[in-house]
Amino acid sequence: MKARIVGLLASVVLSGCQEKLTSPADCPTLCPGGQPQVYDEVFIATPGTDSSFSGYVQTHQATSLLISNGLQGFEERALIRFLARADSVSLRDTLRGYTIDSVAFSFMVAARDTNLDGVDLLLYRIAPTFDSASSFADLTLAFVPGSLIDTLHVPDTLNAGVVRTVFQGADLNRVQIEASDSGKMALGVRIASPTPTGIRLGASGGGNGAVFTTYVTLDVPDTGTARLRSLALGPAFNTYVSEVPQVPDTMQLAVGGAPSARSLLRFSLPSRIRDSATIVRATLELTPVAPITGLPTDPARLTARAVLADVGAKSPVSSGVGIGGQLPPPTDTLDIGATSVNLEAVRLVELWLGATTRPSALVLSLAPEAASFTRPVFFSTRAADPAVRPRLRLSYLLSFPFETP
Amino acid sequence: MSRAFVIALLGLLPQLLAAQSSQFGVRGLGFPGRALAVRAQGTGGGFGLFDPESSQNPAALAYIAALTSGFTITQGFRSVENPAGSASVRSTRFPQLVVAGPIRTFPAVVGFSFSNYTSRDFTLATSQTINPRGTPVNVSDTFSSRGGLNDFRIAGSYRLGTEWAFGAGFHIISGSNRLTSTRVFADPSFLSSRQRSELSFTGVGISVGVTRQFGSTFALSAMARSDGHLNVDRDSTRTGTVDLPYSFGFGLRWRPIAKLDLAGQTLVRTWSGANSDLLAMGGTGARNTVEISAGMEYASDPRRPYRLPLRLGAHYATLPFTLVPGQQGHEFGVSAGSGLRFAQQRAGVDLAVEYVGRSEGVYSENGFLISLGISVRP
Repeated sequence: MKARIVGLLASVVLSGCQEKLTSPADCPTLCPGGQPQVYDEVFIATPGTDSSFSGYVQTHQATSLLISNGLQGFEERALIRFLARADSVSLRDTLRGYTIDSVAFSFMVAARDTNLDGVDLLLYRIAPTFDSASSFADLTLAFVPGSLIDTLHVPDTLNAGVVRTVFQGADLNRVQIEASDSGKMALGVRIASPTPTGIRLGASGGGNGAVFTTYVTLDVPDTGTARLRSLALGPAFNTYVSEVPQVPDTMQLAVGGAPSARSLLRFSLPSRIRDSATIVRATLELTPVAPITGLPTDPARLTARAVLADVGAKSPVSSGVGIGGQLPPPTDTLDIGATSVNLEAVRLVELWLGATTRPSALVLSLAPEAASFTRPVFFSTRAADPAVRPRLRLSYLLSFPFETP
Repeated sequence: MSRAFVIALLGLLPQLLAAQSSQFGVRGLGFPGRALAVRAQGTGGGFGLFDPESSQNPAALAYIAALTSGFTITQGFRSVENPAGSASVRSTRFPQLVVAGPIRTFPAVVGFSFSNYTSRDFTLATSQTINPRGTPVNVSDTFSSRGGLNDFRIAGSYRLGTEWAFGAGFHIISGSNRLTSTRVFADPSFLSSRQRSELSFTGVGISVGVTRQFGSTFALSAMARSDGHLNVDRDSTRTGTVDLPYSFGFGLRWRPIAKLDLAGQTLVRTWSGANSDLLAMGGTGARNTVEISAGMEYASDPRRPYRLPLRLGAHYATLPFTLVPGQQGHEFGVSAGSGLRFAQQRAGVDLAVEYVGRSEGVYSENGFLISLGISVRP
């Protein structure tokens, strides 16, 4: 009998203590308070308060060096000055002279138009005296046929990777470093291709700059392998120069370019949204002044970051969004030829809601900064046509009218 | 043996059935509880006004002979139907707890109980297509509530001779509804939204009751109760009050033979007093209710009536909170149960299985409620 009782109790308990309460609702009869309503509203950026600022990332700080031959109607050239090569090597506590066997230059192709074949890199020997103030015009005379030391073909099958050229024998004369240069080798790089194009080379800012390698035989008595050495040198300084310097237009919103520009947009959301709304979608809508240009197959990314404190050009921005900043900032690819740009930024806009002292502002930047052929310029709130002004399209729910009771 | 088999079969029944939950607790204060112990549930509630482990009549406490504690768990398996579709739901409740005992030098019993006053546990799901930004997007909405009202009663009963018993109780009615509205978009460009609100309730009431025994075979019982009004706070802000009902009950009990005990009762509650308050708060109102119950307990061994008696009963009740203005839902249930005392009657278990059907217009549900009661007399 006791066993039956235990079995009886067990059957009741095991018959399901797990709750399952979901049932279909016949609204509005069975929906206290009704159903959530989604509202759409567009907010233009606060007129006259949006601005572009430039100078954040300089060309010599960029993660890539831009080389082009008319991709945007003008040319860009890379300049690389390698670390000084010593004229002796320490071996067994003694400085030893050496004889150069060969020299190699390797470059990281970060991105190129993979649809275009027949791309060459033209390497010019230039004086190692350039710096961040040097301009395209200053170095025009360095890029003459007499300075051309090699034409490095970029394999058509290469999407990204290293290209390398080696000098040996008589060709070593072309890469000989004069005593007046104090061991510094400098190169200028152009591009040649059937049609205008561009290429992004790795740079010291990205940790993948060009490498200048010298293979030497040390001047030591023995004949062991210790005599053979390679001296690999990275860039001491690298930059690129543009034939047409960027001129910021204060009436528009520029993003990217070199030195890189960022745009600050401010919005004024009404209290009914800041205090009570649940935003389910927020789209930043921007209209480019001209269709987006750039290197095909290498689009740039537009990123919006929330402003932590609005102090203008130097406003600090948050590195992430969402609770605790754990989510990446809103980012989207800028498609070549696009005539409008929509950036989903709901997690960013959420930061403006509720009891917060955060300004309702965001900063637009381009990635990679100062290292992209894409240089979008958007209409600002100063545009005559309201339809092209920067705007935020919000989809939101107001507080649900919970029935009481 | 055969009775035990039937009871075991009833216990296994819910595993074979599709399960469901109540849509009649969506409106108003929720689905009303019955404040019945499992023994009374097994008789359809017919013995409610006479059952000391139930909380309907404070005078019934007089029938407790020793310190007693009782605990009830109810598992519900229901299928719900409405114009939007059907579903099977399951729910678990702990609707009744009682502790009571006699005062040694006085012909009185005191005790307290914790009963389910209303239950407002549900999750409603809908789906539809909306057009935000001019583009069709499928959305799924759920509206859920967890909570309800609890009735904490402190009561005493005084026995006057062997015929009369009088009782009175003080009730504290409190509880909350944790409401959540969620919308999920099929388009991942939209974030899901979740909004919450909490309603909390407080109120007090009093009840009185009387039982009159006519010989050893017949008894009458009556009760009256006033629950005053309920203060309603929404997210800690007072939003208003809801008048709670007066309740009146009358029951009779007859034992024609030693093995058979019959009882029936009627309860009337004036829920219409809450109608205007609920309408003012955006609800659909409330109406008076009546509950009629009848049941029997058959003991094969009159000397040991606690040994697997057979309990049967039925009840009919109207429901207070309307889904559709102008209509009123109702419930019909038939039940069966049994019980067993052991360890020199210091412990016992009771089991009740009740089939319930509820409907209001096109809204209906039916299913089984399986209740297990555990009582201890230390």
